[in-house]
Amino acid sequence: MKEYDVIVMGAGMSGLVAAAAAVKRGKKVMLMAKGTGAVAFGSGTVDLLGYLPDKTMVTDFNSGLAQLPKTHPYARLGAEKVAAAAQFLSDICKEEGFEYAGGLDKNSFLPTAAGTLKPTGLIPKTMDASVIEQAEQVVVVGFEKLKDYYPQVIAKGLARIPGYDKKYEVVMVDIKQDEQGRDFNALDVARWMDSPAGRSQFVSQLRGVVKPGAVVLVPPVLGSKPTYAVRDELEGLLKCKLVELLGMPPGVTGYRLRSLLMSYVKKMGVAVAEQVNITGSVVENGVCKGVIVSSAAREHTFYAKSFILATGGFFGGGLISEPGTAYEPIFKLPLAGDMDQGNWGDPKLFAAHGQPFAQIGIKVNDNLQPADDNGNVLVSNLFVAGRNLPGYDYCLEKSGNGVAMASGYHAGMSV
Amino acid sequence: MKKNQHVPDECISCTSCVAHCPVTAATNKFRGPKLVGPALQRFRYTGDETDMEPSLDYCSNCKNCDISCPSGVPISTLNVLAKAEYYKTHKHSLRDWMLAHGELMGKLATPFASMTNFALSNPINKALMKRIGITDQRALPAYASKSFYKQFKNLKQKPSDKKVVFYPGCFINYNDPQVGMDFVAVMQAAGYEVIVPEEFVCCGTPMVASGFLAEAEKNAHVNVNELKKWADRKIPVVTCCTSCHLMLQQEYQELFDIPGTEEVAQYLYNATEFLLDLYNEGKLNLKFKPIKERIVYHAPCHLRAQGIGRPSIDLMEIVPGLEVIDADAGCCGISGSYGMKEEKYDISMKVGSALFEKIKESKVNLLASDCGTCRMQLTHGSGLKAVHPITLIKQAIA
Repeated sequence: MKEYDVIVMGAGMSGLVAAAAAVKRGKKVMLMAKGTGAVAFGSGTVDLLGYLPDKTMVTDFNSGLAQLPKTHPYARLGAEKVAAAAQFLSDICKEEGFEYAGGLDKNSFLPTAAGTLKPTGLIPKTMDASVIEQAEQVVVVGFEKLKDYYPQVIAKGLARIPGYDKKYEVVMVDIKQDEQGRDFNALDVARWMDSPAGRSQFVSQLRGVVKPGAVVLVPPVLGSKPTYAVRDELEGLLKCKLVELLGMPPGVTGYRLRSLLMSYVKKMGVAVAEQVNITGSVVENGVCKGVIVSSAAREHTFYAKSFILATGGFFGGGLISEPGTAYEPIFKLPLAGDMDQGNWGDPKLFAAHGQPFAQIGIKVNDNLQPADDNGNVLVSNLFVAGRNLPGYDYCLEKSGNGVAMASGYHAGMSV
Repeated sequence: MKKNQHVPDECISCTSCVAHCPVTAATNKFRGPKLVGPALQRFRYTGDETDMEPSLDYCSNCKNCDISCPSGVPISTLNVLAKAEYYKTHKHSLRDWMLAHGELMGKLATPFASMTNFALSNPINKALMKRIGITDQRALPAYASKSFYKQFKNLKQKPSDKKVVFYPGCFINYNDPQVGMDFVAVMQAAGYEVIVPEEFVCCGTPMVASGFLAEAEKNAHVNVNELKKWADRKIPVVTCCTSCHLMLQQEYQELFDIPGTEEVAQYLYNATEFLLDLYNEGKLNLKFKPIKERIVYHAPCHLRAQGIGRPSIDLMEIVPGLEVIDADAGCCGISGSYGMKEEKYDISMKVGSALFEKIKESKVNLLASDCGTCRMQLTHGSGLKAVHPITLIKQAIA
């Protein structure tokens, strides 16, 4: 019987980091994916902690962490583990030639396609917006036919923010293609930039408009692959600084991060299975022996010594909500949070304290293992990571990829 | 299981399918799976179901949208259903009819294989084919002089109590019978006797892809009926073609309401999946000799869409000396008959370009893939020979 050391369920941010950490320790790992996980169409930034639950803005991670409730995943893990996780992820990115900037000591504030700022932790170097403040000329570049991206809105919005209150020039670039067809999304433009023809058209349309030393704001379009080659070439030719802004999905920067992590874990020998529908588990005397995978035909049991549950929240299918009930479908683990569905939603979409359902997750102990109310571990070789965890609202806090990274790393190091 | 699940409402427009659709990446003419699938399905449910979005025709039914969807929306199924709805009131082209009826073509052509193959490769005929919309830039699959059915009939097998049924599918039967013969040889070596009923018909994949859904449903009835006979006797039915397999096992459940599809699905196995299961249970009575070979393996999208892991890689890795490089470069682009269409040829080659590049970098002389048209595309794009994993397994049997 084939037995893995570790089966990681879920291939989003937490699952990928967990698989990477485990395989790096020499474990034989299977990673089970269903869909791509939100990391693929998100921003590719690792938001650590932008706001406290009371909406106070966080400037550095550690002072923010000190004020979090004890049940918050970060508080359970502690500052040291989060720092180690950030270091681990940064090392992988660097090793793969796509070094990330930023860190725990200071949040970065990134301009968005809506002309606002968003606090975040680790960022691709293409998103470092700190150069804007000193720049003499800032050009906001838009693309004809690019959906959901309006450079005038960005210029107007940023100009209202202290530190960014300067004159913005707006320039539209035309993607001249022989082929008539649909409007573009950012990934289409990024793929156009992958081609030498696209880059040369981009440069020829901006040359003369962009003065040497200028900062040029673009949507996330500097190539579809996890490399800085496109940016470096264009910056060299235009003698400017290019900054990618956060945009609407598909967030190309997230696509790059997922490609990087996926190819890294595969290179390290993780067996990746796609389109996997995990429907149950085999647990004997508090030890998980295997998980049951259902295809259109029949059930298969996959065996391992340890397991990591990183199947996501209500969106990813890791938690299921039905009228009158919510549950975790694979192990039927007890959930933490307010289980009265009447209290789940606040009629105000952007309510000051977030949406209460966002706090719901699998009840865990400080080691992020499933536990009952008395702290007794329910499945001794199972660790929970990412949005399966309770006690944090990633939308409100801006902590999604950060908690995923930290808890995924912890799980990968613990199995 | 996704039986008859045609509800687009779980789509939240996250764009994961758009980002991972190989056709969207290759051409601006396709508006993308999110829009032509779930988004337009909502409109189709409210009004005129024959109002087809023209770019839907560019969907190759490769199913990477389904593979990338985090919410389990059956995007490709919504697309083929919409296509079928459109063709209820519109006429098909002669070209689409020909490509959808490979089985009939095979029946007509095989008795005169050498003549047909000559005719297919002859420049005048190629020009004619181009006139009706079949590309002249690639060789069409050549017909074998003896179909698999014919070759199998002449084969003397060692009898055994352990039996499996083999469903060859049109490509193996008419174009690549050696794969079927290799499968029989492997099963014989493993102590199994292979049954090949001739009652089976084309699974319907090429029909579904080109919008001949009603005809595919007729075939499905015939096949499910035959599959039931074997399921009742608890004899597994094994396939070597991943697209036939996906259709028989999963898409019948998704597309049609035929009683028994769920039950027969349990008895269907991909060849490598069946052998790997035996191996994992310690029941594979095969001894392998080392073969010194480095190959690139391309997993067909229709195998990836089955959600059963990577059985062919896992099985080939049991063979000592066989070094398997997983191409992991996405869709090959051909998608059955899609890449044979004149207006889709360039798209199919652009989709496959990452894979061809990976093959080139790997510096191998041999390729493997479970799907017949994938193998054609691999050879067309790289100039290298491509075999079915079962052929390598057969060669490795000591």
